[in-house]
Amino acid sequence: MSSGGTNEGALHAPAASARVRRATLRDRFMENGSVASIAIFFIVVCVLFAVVTSSFLTTPNLLNVIRQSAPLLIVAAAMTLVITTGGIDLSVGSVLALVCALSATLLQWGVPWPLVIVAMLLLGGLVGALQGFFIAYERIPAFIVTLAGLSVIRGVALLITGGYSIPIATDSPFVVLGREWFLGVPIPAWIALATILLALLVFNHTRFGRYVTGIGANSEAVRRAGVDTRRTTLMVYVLSSAAAALAGIILAGRLGSGSSNAGQGFELEVIAAVVIGGTSLFGGRGTMIGTLLGALTVAVIGNGLILAHMSPFLTPIVTGTIILVAIWLNFRLFKNASRSR
Amino acid sequence: MTEKTTDRVRMTGISKRYGPILSLSDVSLRIAPGEVLGLVGDNGAGKSTLSKVLSGAVVPDAGTIEIDEETVRFETPADARAAHVEMVYQDLSLCDTIDVAGNLFLGREPVRRVAGVSLLDKRRMHDDAKAMLERLGIVIADTRQKVENLSGGQRQSIAIGRAASFDPKVLIMDEPTAALAVAEVEAVLELIRTVSARGVSVILITHRLQDLFLVCDRIQVMYEGRSVAERKISETSIEEVVDLIVGRKFTARSAARGDRQEGVSA
Repeated sequence: MSSGGTNEGALHAPAASARVRRATLRDRFMENGSVASIAIFFIVVCVLFAVVTSSFLTTPNLLNVIRQSAPLLIVAAAMTLVITTGGIDLSVGSVLALVCALSATLLQWGVPWPLVIVAMLLLGGLVGALQGFFIAYERIPAFIVTLAGLSVIRGVALLITGGYSIPIATDSPFVVLGREWFLGVPIPAWIALATILLALLVFNHTRFGRYVTGIGANSEAVRRAGVDTRRTTLMVYVLSSAAAALAGIILAGRLGSGSSNAGQGFELEVIAAVVIGGTSLFGGRGTMIGTLLGALTVAVIGNGLILAHMSPFLTPIVTGTIILVAIWLNFRLFKNASRSR
Repeated sequence: MTEKTTDRVRMTGISKRYGPILSLSDVSLRIAPGEVLGLVGDNGAGKSTLSKVLSGAVVPDAGTIEIDEETVRFETPADARAAHVEMVYQDLSLCDTIDVAGNLFLGREPVRRVAGVSLLDKRRMHDDAKAMLERLGIVIADTRQKVENLSGGQRQSIAIGRAASFDPKVLIMDEPTAALAVAEVEAVLELIRTVSARGVSVILITHRLQDLFLVCDRIQVMYEGRSVAERKISETSIEEVVDLIVGRKFTARSAARGDRQEGVSA
């Protein structure tokens, strides 16, 4: 009886194949619509400031933008992984502050600077692991866990410093990380570049990156495929906290002091950069290039408004508006490409 | 089509109790290599529980499972997998935002080492995926397509293809044709034939009785936790199967239409 069916199946096959065509260039553009729209946004903003101000499009200024946005770029790269799993990390600003405060304190105590850097990165990883444990293994929503983290970690930083800013000696090699230049480019920019490239590689070309996307799309499927999804989820938070620690080290070096008030609202800036870049807050859809463009857009706006002699207080207003418009564009223009998102 | 040599699977005296409910009562099931067994019964008859026992998701209170005449004991789905029993979950095995090849190889992506770092070997993944789909007669234009852009039937085919690629001895499918368009049902049934022709035993759970007559060699009917009947497909009819499922002479209109060959293509 199955021989009769074989013929029937063959009859149906051409019909099925005609229904799916190879992805055309337009399909690919629409599929990456979120990246395309932020790229357009970024270019428009750059052109605008290049026309309006004379100093925007100069090498020193551009390098300065990258130097200043290095912490944002570094943490946003890691945050892209977190958000792609469908999670969120609200504690990055607090981790950054804790690292600023603690590294300044340790340096003041005379702890050697390489040891301080290693210790701070480990501390970041540890904080991330602790939060990741509650999120991945105890199944408490990431929003709750990292909201608690935001409060507790900032509190620890305040407790350590008593609310004061702690200076770092300007002759300390620690400051080099934040202030010095290498091959005509600020060291923070090099670190940010290295982080982005590493994140790009991990996200798009490793099993880990694949599982990060998979967990956001259908965590049960990934689990059933035999992947330890809990460990992957935990690792994502380890990375984001470690990235926040690295950003804290750079910031403390650049400012030459450690303040427990550093990075107020930093987590929102990071999340904004990631979301503007086109990563879906619902998980499963992330783009590292988009994040890079998103972070740079946020940075360029802040810089450009100041150069244009506008009030710096306009920055949050413009950033907020752009978040809304960028997401709205994604919803409208590229609705078909990214379905329900 | 199949020679009744040794049984691929033999489940004997399987019982499972959930609190006051005896979900499975002394149920036996056997299937030969390359055979397609239709497992039917009303909701709550115990067919899903029985398939979960075989796939390791449920541990029975009593009874034995033999695979290729060797007694096995499944405590977890991983145990069943190790014994080459694969279950195709309805929509639980695919990641929408990952491409076709990525889904087929999820959890076992080919990697190449570059400067000591393991990177995804995407080219090999797509080449292998294409070959795998061709072998199974699954029509997908582009393995770089995201699964969310596929039709229900294509998604189901990918899920089955994925399970089939693990070199299974037994493939359990729970309602693989539910909610599919007619042409897509046909493609999925064709895929079941292809898989079983390669010697894989298939257990097909379905409410679509027409499908049974198109692909199954034999059907087993469950009724209130018991296995009540077994029929060779060539020796039964839709009316008889319906009667067996509901447990009495059933004369509703859904039981009409005797001609089983044309039942589905109408």
